[in-house]
Amino acid sequence: MRITQGTGQQQFLTAINALDESINQTQGQISANQSFTTASQNPIAAGEVNNYNQTLAQSQQFSTNATGVQANLNTEDSTLSQVQNQLNSLRSLVLEANSGTLTASNRQAIASQAQQIQNSLLTLANTQNGNGEYIFAGYAVQSQPFTLTAAGATYSGDSGVRQVEIAAGQTVANGDSGDTVFNQISTGNGTFTVAANSANTGTGLIGASTVSDPTQYDGGTYTIKFTAPDTYQVLNSANTVVSSGSYQDGTTISFDGLQVALSGAPATGDSFTVAPSTNQSLFSTVQNIVNVLNSGVTTTGGSSTALNNNLAGSINNIDQALAQMSDVRASVGGRLNAITAQQSVATTQQTQLQTSISNLQGLNYAQAITQLDQQNTTLQAALQAYTMTQGLSLFKYIQ
Amino acid sequence: MSDIFQISVSALQAFQQAINVTSNNVANANTPGYDKESINLQEALPQSNGVATVGSGVAVEGISRAYSQTAANQNNASQASLGQLNALQSYSSQIDNLFGTTIGGLSTAVQGYYSAWQTVANDPTSTAARQALLNQAQSVASSFQNASGQLNALNGDINQQISTDVQQVNSISSAIATLNNQITQSTAQNGGQAPNELLDQRDQQVANLSKIVGVSTTTDSNGALNVFVGGQPLVLQGQTYQLKTVGNQYNASQLEIGTSASTATISSAITSGDLGGLLAARNQVVNPALSQLGQVATTLAQTANTQQAQGLDLHGALGTALFSTGSPLATASSLNSDNVTASATINSNGLGSLTADSYVITAKAGGTLSVSNASDGSSVSFTGAGTAANPLVVNGVSIVLSGTPAAGDQFLIQPTAQAASTIKSVLSDPTKVAAAGAVIATAGTSNTGSGQITSGTVLDGTNPNLLTPATITFTGANTYSINGGANQAYTAGSNIAANGWQVQISGTPAVGDTFSVASNTAGTGDNRNAIIAGDQQTTGVLNSGTISVTGALSGLITGLGSQAQQINTAQAAQTQVANQAQTSLQSTSGVNLDEEAASLLQWQQSYQAAAQALAIGNSLFTTLINSVNGTFT
Repeated sequence: MRITQGTGQQQFLTAINALDESINQTQGQISANQSFTTASQNPIAAGEVNNYNQTLAQSQQFSTNATGVQANLNTEDSTLSQVQNQLNSLRSLVLEANSGTLTASNRQAIASQAQQIQNSLLTLANTQNGNGEYIFAGYAVQSQPFTLTAAGATYSGDSGVRQVEIAAGQTVANGDSGDTVFNQISTGNGTFTVAANSANTGTGLIGASTVSDPTQYDGGTYTIKFTAPDTYQVLNSANTVVSSGSYQDGTTISFDGLQVALSGAPATGDSFTVAPSTNQSLFSTVQNIVNVLNSGVTTTGGSSTALNNNLAGSINNIDQALAQMSDVRASVGGRLNAITAQQSVATTQQTQLQTSISNLQGLNYAQAITQLDQQNTTLQAALQAYTMTQGLSLFKYIQ
Repeated sequence: MSDIFQISVSALQAFQQAINVTSNNVANANTPGYDKESINLQEALPQSNGVATVGSGVAVEGISRAYSQTAANQNNASQASLGQLNALQSYSSQIDNLFGTTIGGLSTAVQGYYSAWQTVANDPTSTAARQALLNQAQSVASSFQNASGQLNALNGDINQQISTDVQQVNSISSAIATLNNQITQSTAQNGGQAPNELLDQRDQQVANLSKIVGVSTTTDSNGALNVFVGGQPLVLQGQTYQLKTVGNQYNASQLEIGTSASTATISSAITSGDLGGLLAARNQVVNPALSQLGQVATTLAQTANTQQAQGLDLHGALGTALFSTGSPLATASSLNSDNVTASATINSNGLGSLTADSYVITAKAGGTLSVSNASDGSSVSFTGAGTAANPLVVNGVSIVLSGTPAAGDQFLIQPTAQAASTIKSVLSDPTKVAAAGAVIATAGTSNTGSGQITSGTVLDGTNPNLLTPATITFTGANTYSINGGANQAYTAGSNIAANGWQVQISGTPAVGDTFSVASNTAGTGDNRNAIIAGDQQTTGVLNSGTISVTGALSGLITGLGSQAQQINTAQAAQTQVANQAQTSLQSTSGVNLDEEAASLLQWQQSYQAAAQALAIGNSLFTTLINSVNGTFT
């Protein structure tokens, strides 16, 4: 083929341009430390890197979320542990008050201590976090949830629980609503309560009560009625006798899957009511104790028995509250464990994502520099070849 | 005796002319469009002396140029293809470089925006977190605007370049027409001998024209060249039919190519040359990118706004829109015979079927409509009739025509074309970010059963009764009624929905137990809505709920990147093809200086030999004269 000088130059220019362009691209990759700087250099990887980056950012956000939840749950846990301390103190006080050796003024002194505990519990229930949010107010975090009243306390929060996402699709509760923690506490033994009739004249004391067979208990209300000091009847809400028997001090009365221990000497006509547990606010329980201790009863006679029965019931309620606090703390601990577990998963995932991104987009310096070197060598060779061939012309030899 | 002089002189003249031709070749070695010329020598007519015929020297029969129509056509066609790819590549690589691997920072901004929702979810009462979210929303909106602004600027460049190209085509076609006239005249005057210089010039003009727009040519018997573009004549003999720019029938700001030879535009027939590349860059690269970007912008804005409407802000009011986007473009063709207009809206539940395509609605005789895809003309299925009562719905977009269109009327619907350039963040008050769920469900305080109720989720933020307090009362062990309505069967854990909200009750509620669902006005610490809004980053929405905003962005990055890569590859390949065509053309028509040097030597020696012959003739003649002189003196 005839090759003209013009063609040779044109082809040389095209080749040099292509070489310059590839050197420029390699230089760009080296200075950006990326194996591609535009999507066209590796379209699939560019799309994947975008996906990975979004997932990574999300995962890092979830880790930040988890750290925030951890702080809040730790605050809740330590608050509840203080509530438990207060309740244990209260329990000791009530046990002390229930011993027969105290005078009314002694009890009033205990009542004022119980009142102090009530105030401390209120402060704890109105705990605020670092952002000034009430942690036991449900969603209504900006107003104080609990206010003391004559009967206990009112709750002005709601039952909401803020969820925080700690992994895609996995949320944990950032706390618990005050309603669940402080208001929804079962009375009695958690299933039913036993209360002495206020008109009782004997000294019948309520002892331990248990559910022996949950399948038989129908959730109804019963009355244990003494037809004689040594005979009792158990009546259901329709006034039908469901059980009866003879009573001795310390007898455990069983009916419909329930067991109620009574002691002392009930009088004829005395009665005890067995009713299903209801929810009672912790503050009502404490207020009730304060009120009973302040009622000024003497330590002897029927009214003392009423006091004892009342305080025994309160101890049951305190135990329920303590159990409630343990349950909530266990749940908080479970959430903290879940967060720790998720954080270790997230760390692995983030490392993995970073590795993937760096595999796709990271630059192999050795390879890039070798490539640049090769491209430079090629360019030099091309330039040299050009100058060498340009000198060739027949005209030079015609003299 | 005079023969030797006559023969030598003819040779000297011929060789001198040959040397002239060779020198001319050397002189034009670098002239674009120059075809190497060579001299055609012929023996002069012999003379007979009655016994034998004796040669009478050499005659110059003509000077011809080394020209191959096939090679020239091939070269022109390959230059036209290369011109098209060069223009296309120039625009696709501009987008590639401007967008980089993050669409000019858009994907980073989107990432930051969704993280900001999570931060709000962590601390819903923090005004700082809410302000940060609004700032991120602003940054997302401006990233979309920047990216689409760059694309729109490219469309502006394309328009300008089209105008320049059309002017150039017109000036070249005028030049060809002028050359046609000169060539036909000159050929007639020189007894059919065409003037090589003019032919070269005309061929060069056609080659220049081919780079701008692919043409086809025919040659008339008188030597005139006719040039056609897109099936329409550009030059016929000495007459030109000028190209002109006309506004697109749907969008006057986008220039199309028209011709004075016809009323219809010929853009669709122009597929090669710079002009073809410009049109392709607009139709295949820039406009689709705008629509795809708009599709992501629409999705992001509409999902955010829907979620805002399902939650409560810090004032306890339902959230208002976070973003605004321009509505879909619906334009009537300027060729329509009446004034019927179209309007389009994206359906609230239309994101799942929303595409980045544009559609052409054509009115048929009898008042029926047909819908086709604007890019390839394929038929698209739709429902409805285009009236306000029964809008035409195509892929999640509702279209209403203002009247009954005449047969043949056409409307272009571009659902997402302007979304990215018009998206704005319209919320400026951080307290109006709707982080809280709209409703809160609570169990009655005097309930005796074990029934528990979930906080509640919002199904429809537009329900007017969403925030109206409602009470669910258990009328029996397994029945409940809402606000005293009809009894409904209760199954623990199943959905209970009314007024646009939904709750689940579990456990065993007792007869008479109540649950209330009311506005979550005090729930400033609630983050239910913010969590959902933040999760929209990866929640599938598009393509029947399978592609998320992130997925769509990654798809866009890969799509634009592969397109640029494909165009780069095609352009590189076409460069080789064009080089080969050029080399092949040059190998026929180009000037090789070594060859010319050899020719020069050859003609020089021949000239010297002819001169020598003349000298010998002279000496013979002198000898003769001298001997005659001696005889007579």
